[in-house]
Amino acid sequence: MNVDLSMFERFAVSFQPGDIIFCEYEPGDNFYLIQSGRVQIVKILGDIEKNIDILQPGELFGEMAILEEAPRSATAVAIDKVKALEFNRQNFEILMKGNPQIALKLLKLFTKRIYDQKRRFLILTLNNIEARVADVFLMLAENQVVDDPEQDQRTFSATVEDIAHWAGMSYSECKKVLNHFAGQRRVEIYQDNIIVRNINDFQRFVNSQRNKQKSEN
Amino acid sequence: MPKAVRYTANSVVYFNGDITDKIYILKSGKVSLNYNDIETGQEIHDLINTGEFFGVKSAMGKYPREETAVVLTDAQMVIFSVPEFEQLAMQNTRIIMKMLKVFSNQLRRIHKQVRNLISSGNEGLDPEEGLFRIGQYYLNTQKYQQALYAFRRYITYYPSGTYSGEATLNIENAEKAVQGQARITPISPDMGSQLPPKAAGSADQEELSDTAKKYYNAVSLYSQQNYQAALKEFKSIDQSGNSDEYTAKSQFEIGRCLLGLDEYEQCIQHYTQMIKRYPTHPDLRDALIYVGTCHEKLGNVQKAVGFYRKVLTMASENEVVYRKAKRALRQIEDK
Repeated sequence: MNVDLSMFERFAVSFQPGDIIFCEYEPGDNFYLIQSGRVQIVKILGDIEKNIDILQPGELFGEMAILEEAPRSATAVAIDKVKALEFNRQNFEILMKGNPQIALKLLKLFTKRIYDQKRRFLILTLNNIEARVADVFLMLAENQVVDDPEQDQRTFSATVEDIAHWAGMSYSECKKVLNHFAGQRRVEIYQDNIIVRNINDFQRFVNSQRNKQKSEN
Repeated sequence: MPKAVRYTANSVVYFNGDITDKIYILKSGKVSLNYNDIETGQEIHDLINTGEFFGVKSAMGKYPREETAVVLTDAQMVIFSVPEFEQLAMQNTRIIMKMLKVFSNQLRRIHKQVRNLISSGNEGLDPEEGLFRIGQYYLNTQKYQQALYAFRRYITYYPSGTYSGEATLNIENAEKAVQGQARITPISPDMGSQLPPKAAGSADQEELSDTAKKYYNAVSLYSQQNYQAALKEFKSIDQSGNSDEYTAKSQFEIGRCLLGLDEYEQCIQHYTQMIKRYPTHPDLRDALIYVGTCHEKLGNVQKAVGFYRKVLTMASENEVVYRKAKRALRQIEDK
């Protein structure tokens, strides 16, 4: 994105490597546009720190603050020396008028968030826990870029914790389901990736569960 | 070029599941968006008003359509491609503003729906405990800078919270550790994961950490309800101007001390000035509640109600300040 941001200089903030920009659970009222340096988004689950994303210059983060001052859902840490523009609801309109490109970018980000959340919601509406886990893989597959979309076997760089998180289950509950799938040779579980032998098999399974649920309602 | 198109009654503009990059604006006639509610499965028909855009989200996000657009009476509309729509929106930012509002409402709703379905694990942790635990995590992993950040935030948001005593202690320890480290190794870019274990504190303390210490000391005086002594300390931090962060924080605390001392008029005056100076102060809404409390104590119930209501408009329902304001209003009603 090549836009002139010089007029926003007064909103500039900088962070040193390792600085926390904001912390999970903290009330949030600012959002940021990275100008230089990288920002890591992490979540602390028990005693592990999980990488969610690494953001590059030109990317926005903390944008949920525009909606509501709900607690932050993750922690943002500066990886490098980071320079960012800091906005809040009050100066948001100045930003909008002065730089519609950023506003448009935000609009696109929102469409993605809505879609992702809806997709996530669909997983959670499944009553059958095996179907729920299978649907998590389907969701991950939808976001995957693959050479051959028809290919049955898919590898996901996800852990059991990740799957449990998306499926809205406890770790042990999710582990049980995955072990069951592994016993049926439908998945292979490794240290930091999981292989689904036949994603289309999962698709059929989830579809049939959805239809069953629909007819029960 | 955007083109004007006519549709006859009972025709379909697009079907649920279609993937296209077209965005529509309704010029005349009636169009309904039909879809099943994701929560209840109930079929919903949303009527589009003339002048309204539709098909924006799926076109911009390149997702399949999530509804079927049915023409109810003969209709005219203008069709845009995504680049054409973007061009129009950039020239008229009101369109983006309006869309953002619509999208943010949808996002808020879906977030709520997702939250309602998840009641296990971390997601259910209340923010106060969550924030404290993050500090603990960083302290345990010897990432002292990060631990300091989390605990300082904790103290700012929950000065008399469940863990405020523990947090204050942890801050002191982490500060000592940081100062010890600073002489040995600079904080490394990999966020300190290889830093040596906690070292003893050094004598040469920086200005900032002095201010921080003074601040937390004052916070603890406040928690002991020693408002007079706390007030003196906060005022001295405010006047020294050593640290913007602690000046702003102290400003907020001064108001709370004044309230504790029943100096209602002074408290109102103080917060009014603070809000002028820091219009985006993180504790702005709490300050407004205190101003309301002062008015109430002074017998200006109408004014108090005004401030509490103001806070309601600035907070969402699941926030502590919202509940505080709500409770205050209820108490006034009950009288």
